[in-house]
Amino acid sequence: MSRAEMPPGWAESLLRLVLKENDRETVSGDLLEEYRETIVPRRGRRSSHLWYIRQTAGFVLRAVWPWALLFSGQFLARTAYDWAVPTHDYHVRAEFSTEFGVTTLLVTALWMSWRSGSVVAGTLMTAIASQLAAIVSVSGASLMLALWPDPAGHLRQAIAESGGIEEVYLLPFMMIVPALIIGTVGGAIGSLSRRLLRFGS
Amino acid sequence: MADVLGVFGQAVLLAVVRLRDEAYGRAILKEVQARLERDVAPGEVHATLERLEAKGLLTSRLGSGTPVRAGRARRYYRLQPAGIRALNDARAAAETMWRGVAWPLPVRRSC
Repeated sequence: MSRAEMPPGWAESLLRLVLKENDRETVSGDLLEEYRETIVPRRGRRSSHLWYIRQTAGFVLRAVWPWALLFSGQFLARTAYDWAVPTHDYHVRAEFSTEFGVTTLLVTALWMSWRSGSVVAGTLMTAIASQLAAIVSVSGASLMLALWPDPAGHLRQAIAESGGIEEVYLLPFMMIVPALIIGTVGGAIGSLSRRLLRFGS
Repeated sequence: MADVLGVFGQAVLLAVVRLRDEAYGRAILKEVQARLERDVAPGEVHATLERLEAKGLLTSRLGSGTPVRAGRARRYYRLQPAGIRALNDARAAAETMWRGVAWPLPVRRSC
């Protein structure tokens, strides 16, 4: 009975995308074996699906958290700098942080597609990293807002001049669009480079 | 005594020692769960195996699959001399730290 049980197809596809090419069969096999032999008989079908989804989410988080932290760290650093040291011309800062952000997303996609050999892994994992980064960025910005002393109203003025509070809360989540585009480009480059190198050797 | 293994790394390496020729991912997971007496995520074990193999403490080879895992291959792990040294060092470090201290420690409000 449990031998025929299958976890949610989308979760299994996501797991196989996030794993290294060499581990794809062995690790997904270990998880399927545990799912069928232990989890389904003990917990039933519905709860077993949740277990499998949770395990997959764990693999995804382990793969993307350094990139998500790097991306959110850069966003928070820029936010803190803009609030602490306001200026009249944000052009140079915007240019620098855009280039840094694009590079981070591109390297994320290259790394993810290189290790899995899949373009889709580059696209999807970069998008997930950008949204995890958004959650961290918004939480960090909220904490800064709550702790930043502003008796004279300088902070409110700095926030208004640097793009407004909407930018602090919405911009990180809007990064999903460039993440999908850059993720696909980086994913294609990473996957192609891997194939070319393998073909060359 | 540089770079002593953490508790989880020791649990994984000792599972490989105990399981001998049957040391593959899920068997190691079950062994670690039984020894640590807690639920352990498969991803945690996999990440540790990957790290220990990268450090040269373990090697791995592919084996055949079974129907319950939809024919997917198993990866079997084997302890290397560096892994044995790391386990010996970890044990020696724990014994050195505990030397002269009665065990178990009496539970009091403060020491």
